[in-house]
Amino acid sequence: MLYSPWNLASGVNEFLDRITEKVAPPTILCIDDEALGLKIRRTVLERAGYHVLTAEDGPSGLSLFREQAVDGVVLDYYMPDMDGGVVAETMRRERPSVPIMLLSAYINLPADLVSLVDVTLLKGEGPQELLEKLRLMLGSRCASESGGAR
Amino acid sequence: MKVPEFNRTLRQLVALPILLLVLMAGFLVWQIVAAARAQEQLDHSDQITGQVQNLQNLFIDQETGLRGFQLTGDPVMLAPWKAAAGPIQLQFDSLRTLMADDPEQTARLNDLKSRYDEWQVFARGVLGKQPEAVVDPHLNQRGKAMMDGIRATARDLMLHETQRRRTEYDHARWLQNRELISLFVSIVVVGATLGFFTVHHVRAVSKSYLQQIDDMTEQSEALFESQQWFQTTLESIGDAVIACDNHGAVSFMNAVAQHLTGWKLDDARGHALEDVFKIVHEETRVPCESPVEKVRRLRTVIGLANHTVLIARDGREVVIDDSAAPIMSGDGEMIGVVLVFRDVTEEKRLQAALVSSEKLAVAGRLAASIAHEIHNPLDSVANLHYLLEEETDPEQRAEYLKLAQQELGRTMQISRTMLSLYREPKAPITVGLRELIDGVLLLLDRRMKHQGIQLETELTEALMVEGFPAELRQVFTNLIGNAIEAAGSRGRIRIRMEHAAAEELHGAGAVIEIVDSGVGIPSDIAPKLFQPFFTTKGATGTGLGLWVSMGIVQKHGGAIRIANSTDRELPGACIRVFLPARTLAQTETAGD
Repeated sequence: MLYSPWNLASGVNEFLDRITEKVAPPTILCIDDEALGLKIRRTVLERAGYHVLTAEDGPSGLSLFREQAVDGVVLDYYMPDMDGGVVAETMRRERPSVPIMLLSAYINLPADLVSLVDVTLLKGEGPQELLEKLRLMLGSRCASESGGAR
Repeated sequence: MKVPEFNRTLRQLVALPILLLVLMAGFLVWQIVAAARAQEQLDHSDQITGQVQNLQNLFIDQETGLRGFQLTGDPVMLAPWKAAAGPIQLQFDSLRTLMADDPEQTARLNDLKSRYDEWQVFARGVLGKQPEAVVDPHLNQRGKAMMDGIRATARDLMLHETQRRRTEYDHARWLQNRELISLFVSIVVVGATLGFFTVHHVRAVSKSYLQQIDDMTEQSEALFESQQWFQTTLESIGDAVIACDNHGAVSFMNAVAQHLTGWKLDDARGHALEDVFKIVHEETRVPCESPVEKVRRLRTVIGLANHTVLIARDGREVVIDDSAAPIMSGDGEMIGVVLVFRDVTEEKRLQAALVSSEKLAVAGRLAASIAHEIHNPLDSVANLHYLLEEETDPEQRAEYLKLAQQELGRTMQISRTMLSLYREPKAPITVGLRELIDGVLLLLDRRMKHQGIQLETELTEALMVEGFPAELRQVFTNLIGNAIEAAGSRGRIRIRMEHAAAEELHGAGAVIEIVDSGVGIPSDIAPKLFQPFFTTKGATGTGLGLWVSMGIVQKHGGAIRIANSTDRELPGACIRVFLPARTLAQTETAGD
């Protein structure tokens, strides 16, 4: 085996990943008013090893967010009563460190909301894309947080 | 000079001469009567003089008879004495009557009478004596003295009467002179008065006549100038103007009208309007009703039908927008018709472009909402597919497959619904309004839920209208979309539908009312609502929605009214759309 600095770094990352996975799987809060879609998404995320909390509307999602330790949020935009924008804003205000992914079938998302959240993803792009982006989002957050701690 | 004043002058000119002549005649009659009376007085005096003379002669006769008897003693000699006795008595009576108005003369007459009676007594004494005693000279002397007294009295009487006559004669002469002078003076006075008066009045009439001629000349000049001004103004108008008389013969065309019709005014003048102003329907090519006839029938300003094409003399065609109005005389008689029209070919083209741009915008929004609806189930299907790949448990796989099937079914249903909603027939068809509005609400459902809108609907099942469903759906998507926007977060919207009975201005049909709980329409923007490019939504609106909706509804023969709601619970805008059961919309032409 050749120990280049690159290999070393990726090896460390992998190791760290494994540690966090094993120690405590990241908790993801999913909020979507589409009950069936939400249920299926939960299964996909759980299969990928995440601990998943679900809420079918903004207010109940926010109360879960406050009660539980959440590592990331997957948020639908278009919901009755309270849309994803309001939910994301509240979350940012309360716990700015928690990364948020906006997942929506809505094309014309407001620009300020897009810049507020970490990642946006269009519904229908497939589970691989969802998992990849979620992993990157959590990873970059963890990295920047640990960087900040040092 | 006004007519009443003129009439008064005429009356004066007739009445004054008559009055003056009557006065003059009266004056002359008075003069003549006075002269006649003086003449009567003269005749009266002459009569008295004559009778006194006669009386004297009778005295002489009696005296002569008495002398003869005295001389001869013959009773025959007494004949004249006897003959005169009766007439003398009569003469005295007559004179007494004539002199009744003159007491002095009457006194003299009485004196004469008493002297005469005295003499009579004396004479009878003489006649009773013997003939020889009669010749007594003393007696004779006495008789003579008595008779001399009588004669003297009669002469005195005569003298006085003569004097009186002279006085009366002088008076009569004076009256006659006065009469002549009066006649002359009154002729001069009346003549002068009439002359002066007539000259004065005729001069006033003539002055006023000249003044009126001046005024009329001035007025006709002003009239000419104002006519020139109107002519120039009409010539300068940017729209085409054609005026024609009551029988539809062209009497005026301005430059624009000459250009658009291809007729010169000199050629067109007197021609029937139908020859000069040939108009047909843009699509059907059916000649339009003559505006002159229509105006004559309705006696009001009319706008001509849409899609009117004017065919010029050289065959050129322009789409025109026009109106026709009656020309009324001062007393309300219709004396002609004026047409004002303009070339709107370019405008129509522009409008068509705007309509199709709005259609594109609508299509874009529709695509976005379809994408949104379909992406949710598609996302689930993709997720299920991913799970199926990794799943080995057959039970679990079956569950995933079932869910995938369900979501695919939902996707297809959505796409089918949308397609059926937007498949547009070529000719108007019967549209169930409830179905149509339900479809629109389905499409807007997510948006309403998103805003937490509370929706109340009272949709009647059986209301059907004729029309183009996709266009009508565009109308209601627009109107309900506006209501959602106006109602805001957690607002309310009420959609009601009712049958509209036939009225004077429209046939039977349906009215759809959409009321929201927003702030209503400010009065300053109300008139602009249906103008193209007017929007209150800033950059997010095209400003064409209501304008196009109005166009579609009008094409169907309906109407849109926007007002503020009077319902306290829903104080926002109230939009009422009337759609006739039988549409006026024509079959779509190719390429539309």
